[in-house]
Amino acid sequence: MTNKNIFLRLTLLLLIVLHSSLFTTGCSSFFTRFITKSFENLPISPNTVAGKIAHPIFQNVGLSVLWVGHATCLIQIGDKIFLTDPIFSETAGMISKRRIEPGIVASSIDKLDYILISHIHFDHLNYGSLSMLPKSAAMLLPAGGAEYMPEFGFSEYREMNPWTAFEADGVRITAVPVRHFNGRYGFDGAWLNYNTFTGYVIEYKDKTIFFAGDTGYDPEKFKEIGKKFAIDVAFIPIAPIEPHDFMKRVHADPEEALQIFHDVRAKIMIPIHHRTFVQGLDSSLTFAQDQLKRLVTERQLEDRVLILKIGEQRILVP
Amino acid sequence: MQAVPSVSWTSFPAQTHFAFEWEATPVLYSWGMTKLDRPLHFFFVTQPERFTGSVEFNISAQLYTSPIGTSHWGFSGQLLAHVPLVEYGEYAGLNLGGAHYTIAGISSNYIVVGFSTLFGFLHYNLKYSPADKIWMHAIEFRFF
Repeated sequence: MTNKNIFLRLTLLLLIVLHSSLFTTGCSSFFTRFITKSFENLPISPNTVAGKIAHPIFQNVGLSVLWVGHATCLIQIGDKIFLTDPIFSETAGMISKRRIEPGIVASSIDKLDYILISHIHFDHLNYGSLSMLPKSAAMLLPAGGAEYMPEFGFSEYREMNPWTAFEADGVRITAVPVRHFNGRYGFDGAWLNYNTFTGYVIEYKDKTIFFAGDTGYDPEKFKEIGKKFAIDVAFIPIAPIEPHDFMKRVHADPEEALQIFHDVRAKIMIPIHHRTFVQGLDSSLTFAQDQLKRLVTERQLEDRVLILKIGEQRILVP
Repeated sequence: MQAVPSVSWTSFPAQTHFAFEWEATPVLYSWGMTKLDRPLHFFFVTQPERFTGSVEFNISAQLYTSPIGTSHWGFSGQLLAHVPLVEYGEYAGLNLGGAHYTIAGISSNYIVVGFSTLFGFLHYNLKYSPADKIWMHAIEFRFF
């Protein structure tokens, strides 16, 4: 047998092994279906948001919240403006398509004090979106996140380990542990030395906000957060849900999100991380929201769980 | 070190050879990241550290599927700059540099021009040796 034939056979064997491992395991079956679903949605334009708020920043307000979509929330306490996991782009990571426009245009955020990055996945750390934001902001990111953070010209960058706090000008922001998974590109998570994911608790002017980022349910962690802080508003993810066995390790479903709300003992919950992008194998954009609505009605939590529309702003404290 | 080998085909004046290629980056200087991240990296490099703007020295070994002279092996060193083009280089970037290849004991210098896409995982580099009139096309899967 010639050397050329040996190499051809080895190449063929390698391809067969790769193909088999990619398309026959349960995990990869999910990824294959997810990628197929994502490609199907790529040509579809996002639905428009009517009546976008042109000036979302107040001169001064007790507490206002605006859900831009996904995990992007514009929070104003007094004179300070906070933006979480900003994403304004049409895709997350090139293929996960946005289904509804951002609730506001990025340029309407003309003042910004803090950007909170919960983790380095494409739908939470979006380079193009960050480049649109005012450079006066300070950015907080999880420990280990600096290896994934290009220079955008922001005033300050700070990596946050769990239970460490950033303090400036009366604002205190504490990184709190959540349950998610590492890395940005899949396999790179295996060799990172840190848990590159976090939640945050913002304290300013007697208001306390919990931003969970993206998390699965972990009662110990959330009960501990509930003991340490008197939380007024909790932003908690509720999706994706399917495939449930795969997702539940790293994504809370609506039932678990309500349990997190209970554990952290917040007064108000605002669900996030739903309706915006093609994510998981949820059968419809409102799949998680519909489940949450049913649970909220059953448990008579309508006054405490605020299901915002994308682009909706609420002044919780005038 | 690459997990998946790059593939390349080298066109000599009289023949074309196909090869698998494994690369390692002993040193890379990155200039596109924040001050929280050190600029010099040795062997371990994240994708953004490379594609947001960097210059790297990498070494590689090529295994040719058919012999060139009496050998299947080639070795190279490259000095390669990465310039971000779209989305801080995550969607597209430009590669520019020079390389020195020793294939079957014959050494040649190459000019390297190419681009990267897919978060810096996929590179296409065209390498040309003006002295020896050798063209080399390399599709590199940079899973480091």
